[in-house]
Amino acid sequence: MAAMPPTLPYLGEFEYAVLLAVMQLGEDAYAVPMRELIEGRTGRPVARGALYTALERLEAKGCLRSRMGDPTPERGGRARRYFAVSPLGLRALRSTHTAFARLSQGLEALLEES
Amino acid sequence: MPPAPPPGAEHLLRAAVRDPEWRDAVLGDLAEEYARVGQRCGVHRARRWYWRQALAIATRVSAARLLPGSASRRPWRTPALDVEPGVRLTWLSDARYALRALGARPSLSAAIVVTLALALAANATVFSLADALYLRPFRFAGVDRLVVVSSASERDPLADRSSVAPADYRDWVRESTMLSDFAAAEFWDPNLSDVDVPEQLAGFRVSPGFFRALRTEPLLGRTFLDEEAAPGRNRRVVLSHAFWTRRFGADPAVVGRSVRLNGEPHEVVGVMRPGPSVPYGAEVWAPLAYTDEEWRERARGFLLVLARLGEGRTLGSARAEMNAIVARQRHQFPDTHARRDISVVSFTRGMSDGGTGPFLGVWQAAAVLLLLIACANIANLLMARGTERQHEFAVRLALGARRWRLALQVMIEGAWLAAFSIIVALPLAAMGVEGLRRGLPTSVIRWVAGYEFLKLDVAVLLMTAALGAAATLFFSLLPALQASRAAVSDTLRQGGRTTTVSRSRRWVGTALAAGQVALTLALVVGSALILGAVDNAVNGVVGFDKQRVMTARLTLADGPYADQEPRRQFVARVLERLQSMPAIESLGAVSFLPYAGNSSNRPIYPEGVELTAAEVRPADFQRTTPGYFATLRIPVLEGRGLSDADRANGRQVAVVSRSFADRYWPGQSPLGRRFKIAPDAPWLEVVGVSGDILHDWFMNQRRPTFYRPLGQDAGLTLAFVVRTTGNPTDVAGELRRAISSADPDQPVQELLPMEQVMADKVGGINYLAKALAAMGGIALVLALMGIYSLVAYLAARRTQEIGVRIALGATRWQVIRLNVHQALVITGLGLTMGTALALVLGRVMAATLYGLVSLEWLPVAIMTAVLGLTALAAGFLPARRAAALDPTDALRTS
Repeated sequence: MAAMPPTLPYLGEFEYAVLLAVMQLGEDAYAVPMRELIEGRTGRPVARGALYTALERLEAKGCLRSRMGDPTPERGGRARRYFAVSPLGLRALRSTHTAFARLSQGLEALLEES
Repeated sequence: MPPAPPPGAEHLLRAAVRDPEWRDAVLGDLAEEYARVGQRCGVHRARRWYWRQALAIATRVSAARLLPGSASRRPWRTPALDVEPGVRLTWLSDARYALRALGARPSLSAAIVVTLALALAANATVFSLADALYLRPFRFAGVDRLVVVSSASERDPLADRSSVAPADYRDWVRESTMLSDFAAAEFWDPNLSDVDVPEQLAGFRVSPGFFRALRTEPLLGRTFLDEEAAPGRNRRVVLSHAFWTRRFGADPAVVGRSVRLNGEPHEVVGVMRPGPSVPYGAEVWAPLAYTDEEWRERARGFLLVLARLGEGRTLGSARAEMNAIVARQRHQFPDTHARRDISVVSFTRGMSDGGTGPFLGVWQAAAVLLLLIACANIANLLMARGTERQHEFAVRLALGARRWRLALQVMIEGAWLAAFSIIVALPLAAMGVEGLRRGLPTSVIRWVAGYEFLKLDVAVLLMTAALGAAATLFFSLLPALQASRAAVSDTLRQGGRTTTVSRSRRWVGTALAAGQVALTLALVVGSALILGAVDNAVNGVVGFDKQRVMTARLTLADGPYADQEPRRQFVARVLERLQSMPAIESLGAVSFLPYAGNSSNRPIYPEGVELTAAEVRPADFQRTTPGYFATLRIPVLEGRGLSDADRANGRQVAVVSRSFADRYWPGQSPLGRRFKIAPDAPWLEVVGVSGDILHDWFMNQRRPTFYRPLGQDAGLTLAFVVRTTGNPTDVAGELRRAISSADPDQPVQELLPMEQVMADKVGGINYLAKALAAMGGIALVLALMGIYSLVAYLAARRTQEIGVRIALGATRWQVIRLNVHQALVITGLGLTMGTALALVLGRVMAATLYGLVSLEWLPVAIMTAVLGLTALAAGFLPARRAAALDPTDALRTS
């Protein structure tokens, strides 16, 4: 962990997953598909409440930015909240990813699924 | 357009998610998914789904707001990284940490909270009752300066406070400098007639200064003038607010009107304000009007005297002065005052029923016992927890935590526990008080002031809260001190492995559990004694047959019934009308109904025995019709009963009770013997001996009694008794009609089956006994819980040792014995202390509850055996579980 610059926010495992999901979804990154994506790709259930609190926290840390979309009738006239990863979020993602990558160096043979 | 999601769930979400943009997003997302779920599974399941999601999100979001940092980051944290100096060192974080620590052991925390809450609720409930009925039954301005002065002993709680002779009263008014605003009152329960249903009122004749002494003003009209305290001018009456509302519909025009009391017209001059009706729930007051002759009465005392402490005077100084005045009176009037007593007590004490204090005292003592048991229980639980956490504390100390902070931490946990207990206790206490209000028998409400104040008030709430906080803080401090004293290296070296508990710790735990057993035994025995006494008073041998008997009590008015003849005619007319009814087996009249609470006695001068004034003893005096004995099935043991032939002009006769005969003519036949009830009264000849009956449930003894025929001596106080072939209440209407046809103006004071009369009388103590039994039950559960948890805890700490023993070949029974040993020690110690305590308690109760309760060995022995067995069972269960251990598992545990 010493490799991590001190100014970068520290990402929890779930936060890491959420940021990755936001990047995967691109323009369509709002909570509903985000949850489905994480569940689908990790095979682990994701509580909606946990996702919302994580999104809020990541936004507060400056890792995410959000904008409100247009209200739609199938949502009872309510808008979607779309997310995008901020430059800081991207750096935090990179740093976490690098940290894990370094940690797993030399273990590829064991870790990769064959 | 899809169906709208459940609005309730949406409300919940709206309340939980504060930020409006976030709210829109969350609600929108859910609405979108709701539509999809609805298409797949139908509206009903979609609604359920929505509710589940809404609840889960609301919980998660609220938790995240209230406990920031507690959500998903936690698994990544280690304690060392947790401390960011200067930021986390706040009370708030300590409080939050403590809450989490409690949440980590939910069952233990819940056990503590429930235990303490039960004990606190019991205390708050009982204290509310004591406060309303005993400590502060009267709450009007200046009540603390009012005193009751009487010629009764200060030490006798059952003393009759209405005991002052008129001449004494006049002397005191003249001579006392410490007391002012003297007022006198005399019992006067007039019959109200000339109305649709006549009734007997609770009333007093009072001196004109009475209302001034109380500092009360009338609502309408005025109180009495000084000149109205004279015979002939005293036909005035002041009404209580309650009576005015009940009987006159709060009609202001009643002032100036005339009401008929005891057959004479009285002018209503005023109506008092609502509030306590002094004394003893009076409904009407009339002026006390004595002739000069009557004011000179010095031998007989019957006045209730109130006074007000003078400016700057204390109760003590007033007492000293009154003692000096009476000392002089003793000297001055040796004939009448040689043994006259004096007491000056506060109004509250003087006005309260002598029985209330001891009863509530027993109750409050039981509640305190319960609290002690709960505290012992909690102490054990907390100490068990403290021992387990020593390792945690050692680690924190090693990492640089200060000792005082650890102690603080534990105390904050204690404060949380107290807070939760109080929150749980409050509704329980409110329910308890409400239950008390509803359950209080009317027979108690009538005689005990302050019922209207029976509620859970702020003072009681605060007291409960303080008590709860003090108890928990105290008991959480013990492990905290232990923790802060612990040597870090020692604890760490033990490495958190399960080890046997230190000897001193085990002894403290054992002593606490044994203490619980002891206190529980005392409580259970105490309630059993009282329940037994109540049962005995109602269902025991009372000497008469209470079943299928209807009774009517009344008091004839002094005016129209001043002479003997009209009284006799009245009784004869009532009996005559009922005689022919087929539903009635037999009937009669008596002056004082057993268990009704009143009686009368006369000094007895047996023939041929010279008695000095000090040797003369009184016996109970009853006047009856011949049918009385048969109706209550009181046996006539010797000679004959009374008969219609015993007339006024014939031989003056009496039937005496067995105990009467045994007292004056032991071993001889009393038939034909004679006695007098005053030195100058005519001789009365004994013609028969009746069985003894229990006249007063309070006095658990048969009192010598003599019965005179109504035909020769008729009184104003009467009770009709009617034995029926069927249900006694069936003849109630007929009995009432017979009385009103004999005299339409005659009210009936009480119309009740005999069984009800008795049940009413013991209602108060029965109530007390049941409440005590309930507390005994709670105490029993707590004590068993205490033993169970201690044995289970000790066994858990020895897991490794037990594993080794089993591995080395110890049998299951040997292992059970190892653990049950502790339960045996607890039970043995507890029962020994408890028996001693129960015996002391029994003695105390026998002494304070007026001989009602007698200490018997059987209930003590039974309770001891039952408690001992259940205590052993509570210890055996965890011991057996420990013995069922697989040795490999046990050894692996660390």
